[in-house]
Amino acid sequence: MNPTLLLMLLLGLSAAGYYFGRRRAFAVAGGPKKLSSLHSRPTYYGALTALWCGLPALFIFAGWLILEPNIITHLVVEQLPEEFQQLSENQLNLLLNDVRNLVHGNIVSGEISDAIRSAADRYRHLQAVSNVSLSVVAISVGVLGMVFLGSRIAPGLRARNQVERIIQYLLILCSSIAILTTIGIVLSVLYEALRFFKAIPFFGFLFGLEWSPQMAIRADQVGSSGAFGAVPVLTGTIMISAIAMCVSVPIGLMSAIYLSEYASSQFRAFAKPLMEILAGVPTVVYGFFAALTVAPFIRNLGGIFGFDVSSESALAAGLVMGIMIIPFVSSLSDDVINAVPQALRDGAYGLGATQSETIRQIVIPAALPGIVGGILLAVSRAIGETMIVVMAAGLSANLTANPLQAVTTVTVQIVTLLVGDQEFDSPKTLAAFALGLLLFVVTLCLNVIALHVVRKYREQYE
Amino acid sequence: MKKLVVIGIALIALVGFTSALQAQSARDYISIVGSSTVYPFATVVAEQFGKTSGFKTPTIESTGSGGGLKLFCAGVGVEHPDITNASRRIKKSEFDTCQQNGVKDIIEVKIGYDGIVMANSKKSAPMKLTRKDIFMALAKDVPDPSGAEKLVPNPYKTWKDVNPDLPDKKIVVLGPPPTSGTRDAFVELAMEGGAKKFDYVKNLDKKMFKATAHTIREDGAYVEAGENDNLIVQKLEKDPDALGIFGFSFLDQNADKIQGSFVDGVAPTFDAIAAGDYPVSRPLYFYVKGAHVGSIPGIDAYLKEFTAEKAWGEDGYLSDKGLIPMPDEERKKFASDARSLNPLMLQ
Amino acid sequence: MSDSTINAPASLAAMPSKRTIDVVNAGLAKRYRAEKRFRIYGVTAIILSLCFLTLLFVDIISKGYTAFWQTKVRIDVHLDPEVLQGENLQTADYPGLVKKSIRNLFPDVQGRKDRRLLNGIVSSGAAFQIRDLVTANPDRIGSTVQLWVPADDDVDMLMKGHMPRDVPEDERRLNDKQLAWIDQLQREGRLQKTFNRILFTVGDSREPELAGIMGAVMGSVYTLLITLVLSFPIGVATAVYLEEFAPKNPWTDLVEVNINNLAAVPSIVFGLLGLAVFLNFFGLPRSAPLVGGLVLTLMTLPTIIIASRAALKAVPPSVREAALGIGASKTQMVTHHVLPLALPGMLTGTIIGMAQALGETAPLLMIGMVAFIVDIPGGFTDPSTVLPVQIYLWADSPERAFVEKTSAAIMVLLAFLMTMNALAVFLRKRFERRW
Repeated sequence: MNPTLLLMLLLGLSAAGYYFGRRRAFAVAGGPKKLSSLHSRPTYYGALTALWCGLPALFIFAGWLILEPNIITHLVVEQLPEEFQQLSENQLNLLLNDVRNLVHGNIVSGEISDAIRSAADRYRHLQAVSNVSLSVVAISVGVLGMVFLGSRIAPGLRARNQVERIIQYLLILCSSIAILTTIGIVLSVLYEALRFFKAIPFFGFLFGLEWSPQMAIRADQVGSSGAFGAVPVLTGTIMISAIAMCVSVPIGLMSAIYLSEYASSQFRAFAKPLMEILAGVPTVVYGFFAALTVAPFIRNLGGIFGFDVSSESALAAGLVMGIMIIPFVSSLSDDVINAVPQALRDGAYGLGATQSETIRQIVIPAALPGIVGGILLAVSRAIGETMIVVMAAGLSANLTANPLQAVTTVTVQIVTLLVGDQEFDSPKTLAAFALGLLLFVVTLCLNVIALHVVRKYREQYE
Repeated sequence: MKKLVVIGIALIALVGFTSALQAQSARDYISIVGSSTVYPFATVVAEQFGKTSGFKTPTIESTGSGGGLKLFCAGVGVEHPDITNASRRIKKSEFDTCQQNGVKDIIEVKIGYDGIVMANSKKSAPMKLTRKDIFMALAKDVPDPSGAEKLVPNPYKTWKDVNPDLPDKKIVVLGPPPTSGTRDAFVELAMEGGAKKFDYVKNLDKKMFKATAHTIREDGAYVEAGENDNLIVQKLEKDPDALGIFGFSFLDQNADKIQGSFVDGVAPTFDAIAAGDYPVSRPLYFYVKGAHVGSIPGIDAYLKEFTAEKAWGEDGYLSDKGLIPMPDEERKKFASDARSLNPLMLQ
Repeated sequence: MSDSTINAPASLAAMPSKRTIDVVNAGLAKRYRAEKRFRIYGVTAIILSLCFLTLLFVDIISKGYTAFWQTKVRIDVHLDPEVLQGENLQTADYPGLVKKSIRNLFPDVQGRKDRRLLNGIVSSGAAFQIRDLVTANPDRIGSTVQLWVPADDDVDMLMKGHMPRDVPEDERRLNDKQLAWIDQLQREGRLQKTFNRILFTVGDSREPELAGIMGAVMGSVYTLLITLVLSFPIGVATAVYLEEFAPKNPWTDLVEVNINNLAAVPSIVFGLLGLAVFLNFFGLPRSAPLVGGLVLTLMTLPTIIIASRAALKAVPPSVREAALGIGASKTQMVTHHVLPLALPGMLTGTIIGMAQALGETAPLLMIGMVAFIVDIPGGFTDPSTVLPVQIYLWADSPERAFVEKTSAAIMVLLAFLMTMNALAVFLRKRFERRW
């Protein structure tokens, strides 16, 4: 049986389990009128039956499908003629690719020997056997689970508590994904970063004031300068993000306030999704916009006032990035402001406050945790953004506080170093990993601080 | 309605889930990775190949030469790419990594040349540069203008400072970052050639000489503008005083907006680069995994397509896309090497 | 509101010498002005952001709308039975047939070089069009068919006015002879602009006139389906756990900081993670929408979690207390009362997260989705690319004709985004309420 079909069948089975469990609960209670004799509501008995019926079968299904190809491959290899068994693992792997291509009916490379053809037949045969047995096993486990639980349904069975416990485990499982992601990121960056620190001293990287990865690309060349000081790159990131926040926070917050407090519901229904489009415009588009429209405009404007503006300026990149993250602030804040209970507003109006006073002194403080969440997201997005900076601010790492100069950011350096033409184990490429790790640690510190600050000023109403 | 949506989503999840579990499937197409400079040429061949040969069209990733070789050298087997494109030759260390990981036979194919041009907007006059000018305008440290035999940080602000024959314009050059093979080739061919014009610099010990010739100034005159050559072209249009450094094919396509600068008296035209008169051009390569030929369908046919005269010849479709063909002799040699799967030896 | 202010009873704290109402009235004009100013700030902010949006749209559409039309050339092809013999229908010399029919149009063009230029007027895709025609109807061999085939991209650009005619010959992609031929074709009615069906039906190509976005659209659909199906439930579940169930201890703090931190991790680092975990460890195939979807899920999760938590925080505690008070269990309180109230905010987070996922290129680089892929993917493990990658690759192509194609692809992406958002907005509206 086709695995997808089987999976659907299992889900169907578990749905049947739900109805079966519910019916049993009704029967045990002795009719719809006497439900109060049950510990939980009948749906919980149904849900518990469905879980017992579905979960073990699904585990078996998943485990089987993960192991199946390896076992079949192993069995096929065993039957291959002697000369193929001698092959190294890699070559065997390529040989098996031919076998699988044959099985799937794809184009194969060149002539097919009889041995491979028979191997493919065997593969196909084993797969059929495995599919049938999987269907039998999974379905019988499902039915067994259903029958087992069905027999245990009694008025005293604490079905709700059990279901809720399972749900809670699932929730914990979900929230651990974030932790696993972090561990994964650190692990996948750490190894290469450590190799980088073998070549470049750690403190030189951390506190160095010059970033200039002009090292040789080929071995027969002699390296020119190679300075790996992360400070100018970090300050560049901070400056561009700060400019972006200066654009997006006032505009976003005021838009959110207007939309949720003043605007008619039709206007809100129309304007809010429109603004959300800003977050989805591909960053390449913003990049072109920043580099070809905004940057020359700023340069000409600066020329009029007598400033010396570089053709690649942090200001252009930051402004455009600010536009991109407006919806992060506006939409999230709008939702939160909207959720502030009307009673609070009515209270303020009752005391004679004008609408803007109510908003500034009552609504915003009440909505603050959510607004801060939105702003934090916007900051994060600004720090993580790449394309706009590559196109509009360039790659020159200047240590400067002047937004009219060109700067670069951590993300830009990571991307250019990773997709460069230099060899992958040169310090130049490895620097990308070190930068990634550094950014990770820096934002972590910022977040810890933010958590404490938010907690200190958080106000809970009602 | 709501239930339907939920059921629909659940069904999609199902299909995704099962296909995830059964992902160890076979590969019946060629997988190519590597340089973004070779990408526009390799894709043309791949498309022709896919449409005419009956094999599936290869997938070509644009990862950069270094990343491409890293993936390529990771091992033999369906999960590793079959071919990698490179805008430079494979390095000894990369070759060794390959060998260690069991990638024994590597076939090197040189496909032609890519001219690197300096260009500016049509709104201003064409620049007539020498390699010496380029070196003096762009190097971080240049020989002391007073004539003393020492290096000083580059003092030149305008082209006129560099060479009185050049216009009195600020030096602004948009070019690739140090991670780029284009930059590497530019430095080696243009700047080094310029540095050799100073006897005293030439007589420095080799290491010092290279360091001097290869280091580009970082005071803002040279703007590292990323690898998007189209963007550089458009920025040049907005800023008539700036010069840009990029591949010949972009000059070819935008001849109505920008003009190539003369280098040592030679304009960057197709014929001048092909004849070797224009000094700044570099070879492009791709590398094939010998062990995969005969196991992944179509690799030999792809090699044949790429090395056919109708592709990389003088009038081939690759030259339409801006690839500068190799001389006849060289083409013949690489074509026969590729077809006989002659493995590369690196000492 | 002003009425209630004026009629408010005098406060006890008021100064005895001055009536409260006077104090209020004295400041009233100023407060009204402040009110007005505040309103104007709000309107300005909205107008500003909508202006940016319009500006972007105008920019994109003005560059790209021409891509929806395509110049075609009418040629009369004689399906020569000599060339199309029995077995080799797939590999016959179709380009030869095309060349011959063009040469018939301009019999007096001589010389190898000129003929090459002449052949360049018609796209190389014409040969494949004839091949498909012949394979589908082998009985038409021997007859002469009239075909509208795509013109070369340079001709197309000229017809659309993207290539100036008045510059010196050596600065044009088309020389004077070619211009004359094109003019002749136009006089004979052999050139016409039709709706560009190719753009919407085929995959990528290096010839601008044959390039389509269908492959990228399907890739995006598969990738985003995986992302949506995984990230929304997981994100909401995590937020619910952290906000409603988790004990307040250092461990929970760690998880919280951690999630906020993940939001700031540059997206390409998620690509590195995907490479290490999904490709190297689990052995999933390269360039597959499945892996792309998984990586984007990890990337969008923090956005959805943070937004969902903000939405949950905004549900007033009274709702929870009321539910608990009438004997609901904690799970019942959450699923029956808190979740429905927080859903609009969660959907907003999902919209923004998915929008980000739809527009992201960098993380896909490491897992092989920044690639030239011609065949339209048919499943979750076929090699494919996504819309923003297609845009990025086209934006980087030297051919002039890709400029309008890039903008057209952006328009398609935005349309895709708007459809996706419309659905979520519809759901959000249904759940939204104010109390």
